[in-house]
Amino acid sequence: MPATVEVELFGLPRLYAGAERYEVPAGTLAEVLAALAEALPGLSPAIICDGRPTELVRVALDGRAMIEAPDHRLHGGEVLVLVSAQAGG
Amino acid sequence: MGLFRQILRVHVSEVGKGLECARVPLDDAVYRDFVGGVGLGAYLLWRYAPAGVDPLAPEAPLIIALAPLLGTPLTTTAKLAVVCKSPLTSRISDGLSSSRFALAAKRLGVDAIVITGAAAELSILHLDEELGRCRLEPCRALAGASPAEVGAALPGCHVAAIGRAGENRVRFASIANDGRHAGRGGAGAVLGAKRIKAITVRGRAQPALADPQAVRERARDLAARSLGAATDKYRRLGTVANVETFDRLRILPARNFQAVSIGRRKAKRLAPEGLKAAAGHVREGCAGCTIGCDHRFGGTRLEYESLFALGPLCAVDEPQRVLAAAAACDRLGLDTISAGGTLAFAMECCERGLLPWPLAFGDDLVPWLERIAARDDLGDRLAEGSRRLAAEVGQGSERFACQVKGLELPGYEPRTMQTTALGLAVAARGADHNRSGAYQADLRPGVDRFAAELEATPLRVIETEDHAALLDSLILCKFLRGAIARPWEESAELLAMTAGLDLDAAALRATCARITGLRHLFNRREGWTIAEDTLPERFFAEPLDGGEVVDRELLRAMVGRYYRERGYTAEGLLDDAALGRLGLRSLAPRLPPAAAADP
Ligand code: SF4
Repeated sequence: MPATVEVELFGLPRLYAGAERYEVPAGTLAEVLAALAEALPGLSPAIICDGRPTELVRVALDGRAMIEAPDHRLHGGEVLVLVSAQAGG
Repeated sequence: MGLFRQILRVHVSEVGKGLECARVPLDDAVYRDFVGGVGLGAYLLWRYAPAGVDPLAPEAPLIIALAPLLGTPLTTTAKLAVVCKSPLTSRISDGLSSSRFALAAKRLGVDAIVITGAAAELSILHLDEELGRCRLEPCRALAGASPAEVGAALPGCHVAAIGRAGENRVRFASIANDGRHAGRGGAGAVLGAKRIKAITVRGRAQPALADPQAVRERARDLAARSLGAATDKYRRLGTVANVETFDRLRILPARNFQAVSIGRRKAKRLAPEGLKAAAGHVREGCAGCTIGCDHRFGGTRLEYESLFALGPLCAVDEPQRVLAAAAACDRLGLDTISAGGTLAFAMECCERGLLPWPLAFGDDLVPWLERIAARDDLGDRLAEGSRRLAAEVGQGSERFACQVKGLELPGYEPRTMQTTALGLAVAARGADHNRSGAYQADLRPGVDRFAAELEATPLRVIETEDHAALLDSLILCKFLRGAIARPWEESAELLAMTAGLDLDAAALRATCARITGLRHLFNRREGWTIAEDTLPERFFAEPLDGGEVVDRELLRAMVGRYYRERGYTAEGLLDDAALGRLGLRSLAPRLPPAAAADP
């Protein structure tokens, strides 16, 4: 079975995607996000643009560190949590 | 609408005609040094509050500070700052709210209103541009009325009012205008102590804009930007969407900060979709705002902070119960965060057998909120806030009274947001997420929110504090910040085209450091010491289920570092050089000897 990354979507990313979670093949962050945007086209271009997260979104690796480097390698089994960038309340 | 370069001084007295009103001119230098909003408010508080004054004494001023952008066509600027010495913290309190009242207040032809004294009986303070028409109107019939009922009783008037909580001097009572509250710190109690139930304003004044054409063009541009992607979250979801996200990121305080998650199912019920399903939904906005982030569920306006405090913090997970509690806070005039924080603390005391009250996590909050506002029996003790209640309960309960300087914590868990931990510890107002935006730094790529850094974390806190001082002095809504790519440069342009203030970005940065410095200096004058800049014991001694904890020694070191980076001493004192650098030396002679002698 190919290694996969689970993506959970909250806030605006969920609103644009119309989905709460999705699984995509592992790869670099850019590849994973590009695959996600292809599968959930509502994410382009507002949330994901050319495989990169836009200023509207933050990507939390396993719900912890926020990552953005396109070449960040995801080997499979990770969970990417996509949340709205604006946190104020 | 620029500036009038004068303020209105109002002294209410129990004898004689009951009211003295006068316009007092202000130098241009005051606006260059402190701008408006919270900056101008801090200056006026410094100037008019006697050192060591009891916040509920007649001589304690209640200041309504307006701002240079107020009354212009620029979006999200219909805001005012309410500034006073807090009866909850005995430190500076400055709350913002938006309303048509703010717009109308500007038409009095002044940039701020400073109210001192106290009326002989519960009264309405009617302020008029024509000072001879200012008057006090006794209003015994409005005793106990909600701010909305007061507004309805004064048709055609622009009204700021307190509810029952303010009348009874609850230490976290708010002042409401157009359903919006200047909530934190208990300004409602200060007005209540003056026996002023409501303030109305009437005038037609309109100061000239420095460059009306430029303002019109910028207003169109800003309105267009305000409808872009950067504000999408606020428009489409509202801040209540945070509850589910924060639950997933383990940031959501639950059960009086004993947990950081309530579980997906419960979080989903309190998220926008759950609230809509439970109560229906409409979206509105503040006066003059193109964004409209005001999401109402079943007619009740709800934002994340109220939702967290009246929901997960108290283990209330029924949407209808949270909405009923939020509506009760609106009606009674209570700060939702402090109300929820104090009740959550009392619930934990009851759970531990430290208080014999019929109160438990998950209970309906409405009857307890009513008791707080009425100050009856147990409500009287809750009305003092969690710090005072903990001092009374004793038995080690202080370690889980979740407050800083007496102000209850907002909805961000310090153990999983370590920049926020420092931001809350050093904030002048007490545990504060508004005059500091440290939580934003925690959620930035490249920042490890679970581990603070001695050198980098204080700098991040300073940057967010100064940015907040900028927006809160202009005043521009913080929800617009994502649409302003160059805040310092653009703010300088806005001040030039509206008020004719000649400040470049660098000068504005210095101004914001000065504003933060003066807020700190006020606290210092009122007895602040660096021992206050800490967190409750819970956050050092009780690791979360993932082992996260705040490192006491590191926090202490970062507090010292924060002050050194600000140019103060490591003990947080402003020496003569620091006062000179900040441009505050001219105010320093007003320091009492102990503070003036800061080494
Ligand atoms: S964005 Fe929201 S809080 Fe800000 S001015 Fe508009 S409606 Fe009010």
